[in-house]
Order: sequence, then structure tokens, then C-alpha cells
Amino acid sequence: MTPDVIVIGAGANGLVAAHTLARAGRRVLVLEQRPEIDETLDAGWVPPAVVNELGLGRHGLEVVRPDPWISVALSGGDRLELWQDATRTAEAIRRVSPADAAKWPAFCRRMHRLAGFLEALYAVPAPDVETRDLRELLGLAGLGLKARRLGREAIIDLLRVLPMSAAELLDDWFEHDGLKAALGAGGVLHLRQGPRSAGTAFVMLHHHVGSPAGVFRPPLSNAAQVLARLPGVEVRRGAQVKRITVANGRTTGVVLGSGESIGASLIASSADPRATLLGLLEPGWLDPEFARAVRSIKCRGVAARVVLSVARDPGFATLAVAPSLEYLERAYDDAKYGAVSQQPYLEARVEDGRVVVHVQYVPYALAEGGWDDARRRALGDLVVERLAEHAPALRAAVTGREVLTPRDLADRGGLTEGNAYHGELTLDQVLFMRPVPGWSRYRTPVPGVYLCGAGTHPGGGIVGAAGRLAARQILKEVAR
Amino acid sequence: MPSPSPSPSRYDAIVVGGGHNGLVNAAYLARAGRRVLVLERRPRVGGAAVTEEVFPGFKFSMFSYVVSLLRPEIIRDLDLPGHGLHILPLESTLTPMENGDYLAAWADHDETRRELYRHSPRDADAYDEYGRLMHFMAHAVKPILGMVPPDPTSLHPRDLLGLLRLGRHFRGLGAEKLHALVKLMTMSSADFLDEWFETDVLKATKSASGIIGTFLGPRSPGTAYVLLHHYMGELDGVFRAWGFAKGGTGSVSEAIAGAARRFGAEIRTDATVARVLVTRGRATGVVLENGDEIRAQAVVSSLDPRRTFLQLLASDGLPEEFVAAIRRFKFRGSSGKVNLALGALPNFTCMPGPGRHLRGAVSISPSLEYVERAYDDAKYGEFSRRPYLDIVIPSMIDPGMAPPGKHVMSIFVQYAPYHLNGGWTDARREAFGDAVIDAVARFAPNLKSIILHRQVLTPADIERVTGLTEGNIFQGELALHQLFFLRPAPSWARYRTPVRGLYQCGAGTHPGGGIMGASGRLAALAMLGDGA
Repeated sequence: MTPDVIVIGAGANGLVAAHTLARAGRRVLVLEQRPEIDETLDAGWVPPAVVNELGLGRHGLEVVRPDPWISVALSGGDRLELWQDATRTAEAIRRVSPADAAKWPAFCRRMHRLAGFLEALYAVPAPDVETRDLRELLGLAGLGLKARRLGREAIIDLLRVLPMSAAELLDDWFEHDGLKAALGAGGVLHLRQGPRSAGTAFVMLHHHVGSPAGVFRPPLSNAAQVLARLPGVEVRRGAQVKRITVANGRTTGVVLGSGESIGASLIASSADPRATLLGLLEPGWLDPEFARAVRSIKCRGVAARVVLSVARDPGFATLAVAPSLEYLERAYDDAKYGAVSQQPYLEARVEDGRVVVHVQYVPYALAEGGWDDARRRALGDLVVERLAEHAPALRAAVTGREVLTPRDLADRGGLTEGNAYHGELTLDQVLFMRPVPGWSRYRTPVPGVYLCGAGTHPGGGIVGAAGRLAARQILKEVAR
Repeated sequence: MPSPSPSPSRYDAIVVGGGHNGLVNAAYLARAGRRVLVLERRPRVGGAAVTEEVFPGFKFSMFSYVVSLLRPEIIRDLDLPGHGLHILPLESTLTPMENGDYLAAWADHDETRRELYRHSPRDADAYDEYGRLMHFMAHAVKPILGMVPPDPTSLHPRDLLGLLRLGRHFRGLGAEKLHALVKLMTMSSADFLDEWFETDVLKATKSASGIIGTFLGPRSPGTAYVLLHHYMGELDGVFRAWGFAKGGTGSVSEAIAGAARRFGAEIRTDATVARVLVTRGRATGVVLENGDEIRAQAVVSSLDPRRTFLQLLASDGLPEEFVAAIRRFKFRGSSGKVNLALGALPNFTCMPGPGRHLRGAVSISPSLEYVERAYDDAKYGEFSRRPYLDIVIPSMIDPGMAPPGKHVMSIFVQYAPYHLNGGWTDARREAFGDAVIDAVARFAPNLKSIILHRQVLTPADIERVTGLTEGNIFQGELALHQLFFLRPAPSWARYRTPVRGLYQCGAGTHPGGGIMGASGRLAALAMLGDGA
């Protein structure tokens, strides 16, 4: 069988794109370099459109909303736990700051309203601000109306809050350091910025989209695994794409690492834009301006993943080390100069008897020397040590550990600079600026080649949304 | 503001504060035939644009020291050259490097390119293209500086039309420039420059212009926008981008004051306004500190928003939401100034001797990391141990500023946080001054031996002398969420205030800081428009 479409990568976005195309009658072949299905849960909101259109619910989709969604270690062994239920959260906050607890409901309401606006933006392709097309213009006008209908206060919030720093926003509202840090850390996930950088309030809201009011981290889900087992498309695992071939200005298919060629007139790559366009695409087909824009995509990996095997209960189900916004900012300062944070942000969660830790900031490129086993070991030690300061039981419970630095994520998964979001969510790299300005509609300058991964709108941390929108764009543009 | 008509008050308008924006405002009102009174607290006009003989024979542009963005329409409308404004060009920038080398930018474009070629042939090539883009972008942004911001929350046809016009302006730029504009508005100057150049010292020096007056580092998003400013002045063709006013920046203020007087405005110094008189929700005049009441049809404040609304007014008369917005308006002054009287010229190791480089600026920004680390200190409440400095020697161009054979050196310093850990004391001020001198002396070792006198100004001093809240030289940070229709508060960015008859015309309104005068002019036009 010759496929109509080759989808590169069997992550959630690639698979959603593949199934959406298959349901429209296309023969789809998915090529995935990894031989096995990755069974770890993905963090990210699964938009209802993705769930419903592909019937993921019927096929065993499980969305885990950790409760509490964060538990911040406070000095003296205490914890600040923030729950899925906003009232319960307000209770917890009251114990540390009655003033903050009083403001909590209003804060939640206003942030949820802004996230709702983002949610609407994320359900459709990025607005095309240059368009002369009437339908697009109507879409833009509709968006303006939607914003207006939210009311005066919301419009001001929208204009004021989105470009702000998370720190300024949170300092406006709250006094408790741990609370501010718990919220502010959501503004810097996978971003080489600290909470005092402008635009981090937007990232905080980005991670709020799809969650109940008062919950500022996305849920976990098995969406990628459900998609991987969903019938309807052929997935070839262990098939590494080496090259996207081009002839007469159009794509002709791919060449695998094994040397095998597979022909197709449409390619949808869920690999990140830099890897796809500068690594896979046959060189010479991009004009220098476009190539420069792609090279300039800021994609700086800053997060490591440390998985600890534990012999017994580590003394927590979830634990975050984020005592204050200043702590986070100082952690960023180290990374700014190419060093691992000596006091990193840690978000640990017990999953299947293992402790999975998000560690930030861990730069992809170190200013001095490169990543080696000694440095990896040191990072593992640091993480265990910092967690154990707040959960002493952990130290003795750890039986093994796996440290994945951004460098490892890059080497194993092909992620450019190990950035899980395929490009940082900075204000100059979202909406019609994502993946590069003017190319937000999933196509590329080479006819037949499309992008469908997290590097495109609406970006990382949202499961399958980019894949779905890309597939719809392909179907719209390519008649049978 | 009503048209001139017989009325019980002698004045149509009282301008609170005789800084350059207040004076511009007064001049435009007087030019339209209004009877205007300017009240200035200090013995001289100018606010932060003053020339003072700090040490006998040595004159300093005490705070603001270069002229770059003064609007050409103001220069023309008020005939400032006719009132003594004379701009002397400041054409070169020298950046000494840690390794003993330097980077120089000269007035002659080709010479600058050759110099850059020495550091990186690739950057020399990119330099032209970069210059072209920035030139275009400056063109694109300029109309916005002269525009009264529409209110995005209002359904008034005027505002809807304004928004529509704004949308059309942006779309009219075309895709490439629109994208560049979004990048400039949102990126850090370091990231933006990374897309163009590889020479670190070039990026450091260029990005340093993006941090002036902000509490941000070159790696902080939002700093790229200021890169444009350098190119904006060049468009006007009235004078070169950056320059000194002959006689110091005080002569800019004097020229505007001269124009205002010529049009009939009255200017009173040593007159401190204690509060604005409000009768039945309407501003009716002011009360001076000495108890005098002066009535007027309208009052316009050129002071910053916090002073205007939280000091001159009893805030209980203002809408709660507005007061909250003014309270959270961020100032956080971050700049200091060191003024030196010198017995001889400094000798820079990288370019020894008295050369033409001393007629331009010397930038102490040897690397991006240097500038960023200077910011890191301030972020946590300390002054920079190794600060970013912008140095000029006005007496090299304008010999009247110092006694014969002697010189004045102006050192703009960043960062010096207003909220210093433990607070500013005399001892901390001197320690700060020492750090600045040390930072220069690393590159010009003879400096310490030629200093005759020094004046060190911290943000606390700037606040004390000029009244600028927290010593912020822009009357409020130029951050994205404090610009355009959010400056100083949503729905109140059109120079009007919740109190009828009270207007604002300082840099705390759009388009903000620098010796630009645009706020003063736009406010005057808004006031005249209300009376029309």
C-alpha cells in the first residue's frame, strides 16, 4: 500500500493528526523511531474536541487530576496543599494567610475567565492578522466580540495580564511566598525565563487552560497510549525517518535510517519545527529568510526528568520545592549563565511506585564542559538531597534512579535542545508567531510538507490540539 | 477645557510642574490663546532636564543628559531654535572590552562597518540589513507616539474608530514588519540581537540601550522595543539622533519656557502646589504650600501619576478601581548618576590619548553577561557591583561647561535600585559612587587621580530633588503592561482623569519618558479638543 500521508512521530499530536486524516478517508502511515509504546502518562489538557472526535473515552482514556494538584513544602515540615476543589484550597490557604484566602476566589474567577478565552483561541487555528480573506476577518471580528462580551474588567485583564510577569501579577494579589511560588512555577515550565520575566503570566494561564478554577497545572492522561492502540492507522515502530525527500519543489516521501524509501505526496511531521525543517527536510528548498526564522526558534531545554525507584513510601504523594518566587528567580539565574540550578524547582509525584520529578532549571548546554555520567549523577544526588530536606524518608527509600537531562531528551527523542514543548512559549512564539511568524497554519514553504507537533499552535502542554488542527488544515487544502 | 471667555478666574489653565512636558503643554495652550500659569516647586524650570553649576565653574546636565527624541513637530511649532535650542551631535560610541580591545561606532557608517568587520565579517554584513529593518520599524512605530490611545473597553465611536485605525495601521505594515514589531514588543533585546549578530560586545552595547530606565536586564522580555528608539531620532532630519543641548539639557527647558512665555504663559518658580482644589467633582484650581489659592478653569499635572492622584488629590473622591490601578503602577527607579569635575581628560587603555572618541559616548558594557549580572545584583536589592555605565564628557563638545582645560564627566549608572536592601544612606551612596568610579577606572586607570569633585545621585536623591516617584526617570516603568492604553491606567490614558477639568501631561502618560515632549503636547491637544 502506498500511503496518502506519512505522519512522522507517534506521540499524541502525530497520532491525533493521523487518526483525523484516516477518518476522512486518507491512507495514513505513521513512522515512529522508538520500538515500543511509551507507557508514561503525559501531562497536558486533552481538549474535548480531540476526545470526542476520536472517541477516546470509549477506548479507555483516563485523565488523572492529582489531588492535591500541588503540595508545596513549607519551612518546619509543613505543607501547603492546593486541591482540585477551590473551597478546600481556600481553607488550606487560610491556615497560612487569611488575606490571601480572602482573595483566592476572585483571583480564581478572573484567571479562569482569561484561561477560558485562551481555550477558545486554542480550539481554532491561530488568528491570521494579515488576512484579506472575508471569512478570516469575520473570525477576527468574532474574537474581538468574544473578548468584549467578557466585559470591561476581563478586557483590561487580557491586555494587562498576558504580557505581565507572573511575579508581578502574583505580587499584586498575594503575600504568601509558597503560594506565589506554587502558582508562579506554572509560568516558567519548560521556559528559560524566571517568574520575573514578562510573558510568564501568560504561560501560567496556558497551563491553567482546561482545568477547573483554582487548578494551575494540567492533568495527566494516557491519551498517547490510547491513541497508539486505536485501530485505523498503520504505525510502524522502530522506523526512523532520515530525510524528507523533495523533487520539483514538492515532497515525494521519506527515506528511513535503513535506507528504505517510502513515497507519499503529503508529510505531516510531529517532530519539532527545527528538527523537521533543518534536520529532516532535504536541504536547499528553504529560502534563507525562512531558514533563519526557523533557526531562530527559541527552543532551549531547561527541564530534566528524574525518575527514582523507591522501595517504600517516600512520605509524600506529591511534593513541590518552591519556597518563594525569589527562589525560582535565583534558580533561573544559574541557568542564564549555563549552569544547573543549585537550588532547583522540583515537582515530584509518585506514579506506579516510582517518584517522577520535574527539575528546572537544567540547561541543555552547559557553559563549562558537557553532560557526562558524573554530572548526571551529581544532578540525581542534588534532586534526592533537596527533596529529602522536606521528606527525610525518601533518602533511604531510593533504590535506583534514572536522570534524563535535556541533552538526553535531545539525543534519545530527537527533541531539539531537549525542549519538550518544541519551542518555548514566549509571547513572540505563540499564536500567529508559532512556529515562525506568518507560518502558523501548519504548512511549510515546501508543498506537501506540514507540521503537526507541539511546535505549532497552540503549543506544548495541550494534548493533540496541534495534531487535530493540522490535520483539518491538510484536509481543507488538499482535495482528494 | 472651555474656550477663552470672561470668567471669574484669571487663568484658563494651571500647569502643575515646570518640567519639559509641563512647559510644552503650557506653550501649546498659550499658543492657542489660553491664559496659562505654570507652577514649579524648584527655583528653576526643567524638572529632570536642568543644567546646574554643581561645583564652581563646572556645569552639569544634572539628571537627563542627552537629547534624542524631542518631537520635531514641537521643535517647529514652538520655534525652539529661535529660543536658543542648539543641539551638538554626539556621534560615536566606544565600548572598552575586558581583553583590552574595544568596539567603536562612528558617525561614518562605513567606518563603523569596517570596525565591526574587525570583530566579525558576518556581523558587518548583517549590520546594514539590521539597520534597514530598524529604520523601517521606527517609521512604523512613530505614528503611534503621536497618537492619543483609544480606550479598548469603551464603545464610544471615537474609541472604536481609534481601535480600527490602529488595527489598519498595523495591518498596513505588511506581514514582515508586523512580525518584527511583535518581536520587538515582546522579546528581550539579547534574544532579538542573537538573531542578527554574534559579536558579544556589540550585542551588549546595543542591548544596554534597551535597559535604560527600566528594572530589567538585557535578557528580560520587553527590552527589545527600546532598540528602536535609537533609530527613531534619525528619521526626523531635524538633527542627529543623539546629541547634547548647548549649555546642557537645562537649555532645552529654557527654550521651551521661552516659547511658552512668548505665547503669553506665566511661569512661577518656588511655587509648590500642595493640592488640587476640587469642587463638586470638578477641578477649580490649586492650593499652594503657602496657603495661596489660585483658581483656573482647568488644571493639568505634569507630575507622575502617583503624585498627581494620591498626593495632590484626596483619593477618596476617585473611583476605587482607578485608585487601585494607580497604586499598582510600577515605578521602581533603577538608575543613578555620577557627575564628575575633572582636572584633565581620562585616558582609556584601549584607545589612549585624547581622541575624537572622547567627544562621543563611552559605554561600559563589555559583555552581555556583564550587563546581565549588573541586573542580577539589583534584582535582589543591591546596587550593581560592576554597573553598566553610559559616559559622556560634555565639555569636549561644549567648552562652556567647564573652566578652561578642565572637564565635566556625566556617568549614567545602572543599576541602582530605589528599594536598596537596608535603604539608602550617605555611606551607601558613597559606596555606590566608589563602585561606579572603580568600574570606569578598570578601563581608564588615570580617572581616580584627575577627579576634582564628584556628585553621586541615587534614585532616592533623584526623587528628593526632582520629585520623580522612586526616582524613576520615566515617571513609571516602560513595561508592556504600562504602555499605550494602559498608561497610567486603563480607560484613563487619554490625558483626562476621573476629575473633570483635571488633566495629566507627564511622562506617566503615553508615550512616556525621555526628553520627548509628546505627552505634554498630546495632553494640550486633548484639552483644547474638549473645549472646541
